[in-house]
Amino acid sequence: MMDSNMKWRLMTDQALQFRCWDDEFVVYNSLSGDTHLLDSTAAQILLKLQQAPSDATSLSESLAPLLHAEMDDELVIQIEQILSDLDTLVLIERT
Amino acid sequence: MILNVSGLAPSELEYRLRQTGIVLQTGSFITHLQTSIPGVAECISLLYADYPLLEQTDFADFHVSLAQPGNLRRWFRPQVLFLFDGSPPFKPLPLDQAFPMLEWGLNWCVSSQANRYLIIHAAVIEKGRYAAILPAPPGSGKSTLCAALVNRGWRLLSDELALIRVSDGKLIPLPRPVSLKNQSIDIIQNYEPGAVFSRKVNDTMKGTVAHMKAPADSITRATETAQAGWVIFPKYQAGASALLETLPRSRAFMRIADNAFNYSLLGVRGFEAMAGVIDASLCYDFTYSNLDDAIETFAALKPPISPM
Amino acid sequence: MISPPLILRVLRQPDALASLSLADWDLVVRQARYSNLLAHLHALLEERGLIEQVPPQPREHLESSHFIAERHIQSVQWEVILIRKALAKIGVPVILLKGAAYVMAKLPSARGRLFSDIDIMVPKDSLNEVEAALMLHGWAATHHDAYDQRYYRNWMHELPPMQHINRSTVIDVHHAILPETAYIHPDPEKLRAAARTLDGFDDLKVFAPIDMVLHSAAHLFHEAELDNGLRDLVDIASLLRHFSNLPSFWTELVDRAKELELTRPLFYALRYCALILHTPIPADTMRAAEVGRPSLPMLTLMNGLYTRALMPIHPSCSDRLTGVARRMLFVRANWLRMPPLMLARHLFHKAFLSPKDE
Repeated sequence: MMDSNMKWRLMTDQALQFRCWDDEFVVYNSLSGDTHLLDSTAAQILLKLQQAPSDATSLSESLAPLLHAEMDDELVIQIEQILSDLDTLVLIERT
Repeated sequence: MILNVSGLAPSELEYRLRQTGIVLQTGSFITHLQTSIPGVAECISLLYADYPLLEQTDFADFHVSLAQPGNLRRWFRPQVLFLFDGSPPFKPLPLDQAFPMLEWGLNWCVSSQANRYLIIHAAVIEKGRYAAILPAPPGSGKSTLCAALVNRGWRLLSDELALIRVSDGKLIPLPRPVSLKNQSIDIIQNYEPGAVFSRKVNDTMKGTVAHMKAPADSITRATETAQAGWVIFPKYQAGASALLETLPRSRAFMRIADNAFNYSLLGVRGFEAMAGVIDASLCYDFTYSNLDDAIETFAALKPPISPM
Repeated sequence: MISPPLILRVLRQPDALASLSLADWDLVVRQARYSNLLAHLHALLEERGLIEQVPPQPREHLESSHFIAERHIQSVQWEVILIRKALAKIGVPVILLKGAAYVMAKLPSARGRLFSDIDIMVPKDSLNEVEAALMLHGWAATHHDAYDQRYYRNWMHELPPMQHINRSTVIDVHHAILPETAYIHPDPEKLRAAARTLDGFDDLKVFAPIDMVLHSAAHLFHEAELDNGLRDLVDIASLLRHFSNLPSFWTELVDRAKELELTRPLFYALRYCALILHTPIPADTMRAAEVGRPSLPMLTLMNGLYTRALMPIHPSCSDRLTGVARRMLFVRANWLRMPPLMLARHLFHKAFLSPKDE
């Protein structure tokens, strides 16, 4: 079970390049050289983390309106899942 | 002085190929070619007739040759080696396959060396300033479609290699003989009886292959770049009516990158070049079975509106 | 007296490129390609602001290889990040060797290179721990054959190479710089003691400058095969040039070589850098390095072998093509084995697809 207050961030010197078409994002990770296809939620999370490190709870709060979702435990769990996936893709890391 | 290959008598061509080699201009690439293998000169005479033959050149992009390996096999099962500047990148093939091997070798030269371009395994054709890129996983029927389209008003940039110049996103032509295999050869010969073909070569890795001479117009305009307009994934499906379906651009991006030789190798430059192409293009999946229907669909393609 | 191959002329004196004809460039590009020096040539000329003077056609080829070399640097940097993550918890001192060291230390030798494996050195008694940590993070053992395993662990100075299951990149974990079976044994402890922590990284070290040079020399002049001879010599020369401004580099070089039993490789390195690449080396140092000079018969023999093996391997540079020249040029994996397309898994979460997609 993830700690929803655990902070996440992009890696040092990481530059992400985003392109958006029809609400889907193609993202280039300058560190790994990998290219990813992401839905807009995952992309929005990355964009937020690009501004500043954050945790699942704070991210859920700021993204709830954008996602037309209620700010509740279920939302936080889903955001945590996406964070875990982004971690697996080595797009983000724990602080 | 520049003349075309057709300006040389076949015997003279054969002599030069054997002795000093010849220097061919294909698109923006200059290739020095040497070979003593009989039969190759004939194919070059036929399919490269309209290409500039550089009499005097100081710099060639590629130095290639076809040679028989000097082993005992040369007497009972003769073979041919493709040499890149004296070194063989591939294992030898049966001697009969010398010309197809040359064509594959020339494609390999570009796809492995020309990293100033984002190179996609695709056909590229052009009409009215815009180019259609047809990425080509096996079984798509891309070559047949391409061969038909270039005989119906579309200019051939390439049947195999889409070259996207990283510095400005333009598509660079590399018109060379169109490679066809198995039934496609007969289909296109029937479709365009006037098309010039090399002889069929059997039992290659790809089955029976033959090469179709590129239309003269595409060779004359080989230095004319093009702007990407459409990305179309063709799929031949027996009995299917022609169907053009819009493809979300992000999906088109991933699929076309999947068909690239050097997307990953080019790092961020590859990403940006690819994004530029997708930005500028209308993207489709295209299913078809009948060539005439396909020609009609392509003729009706709407040009993309320029991005803001 | 045969004039030196064109590529050597350019390497020795980049400014002379203005005098090259287009036909000369044709040969230079081909010799460079055969010697794995095309990207290096680009880096060399770019450093000196000379790229614009290269005629457009050959310049295309130089720039093409430059794009690849840049990608390699990116790859090495990423591998190092991931290796650090894998080894973070076990607290073992890790020293980066060779190419990876050049990249992370931002040395000029890093530019214009193609990298194959990443090489690191760790204390011998930590090998098991390091191997286990790497395996936990996706690197898998290769060379499963019992003979091969023994060969590496007992006789060589490293674990069998480990390959990552996703990225296909390879890491070589060394505990010394020469095999146990070599007749000389540069003490890894001495190398470790002198190693420098990299700026900005508290968990990574590289050899001290003199040790880097000596390692490179030991590697080149100890190997049986000199497939990449000229390329490796260029590396050494590049290090020498870069470090020559360090105070006491030249004065301490030979003494350190004595300490590490590497006077023979150093002798050869200085000799051939001067002879073949015209690298400027202080006379005093050359004299002091004589301590590593072999017997006359040996030197004569080696001289014959080395001057041939260190020449650019290209038909235009030999009067007689050797087996090496006929070898399939492109078969040797000369770089981090990257899959054709590095696209990672797609991320889609049904809950958040926008309504119009339902």
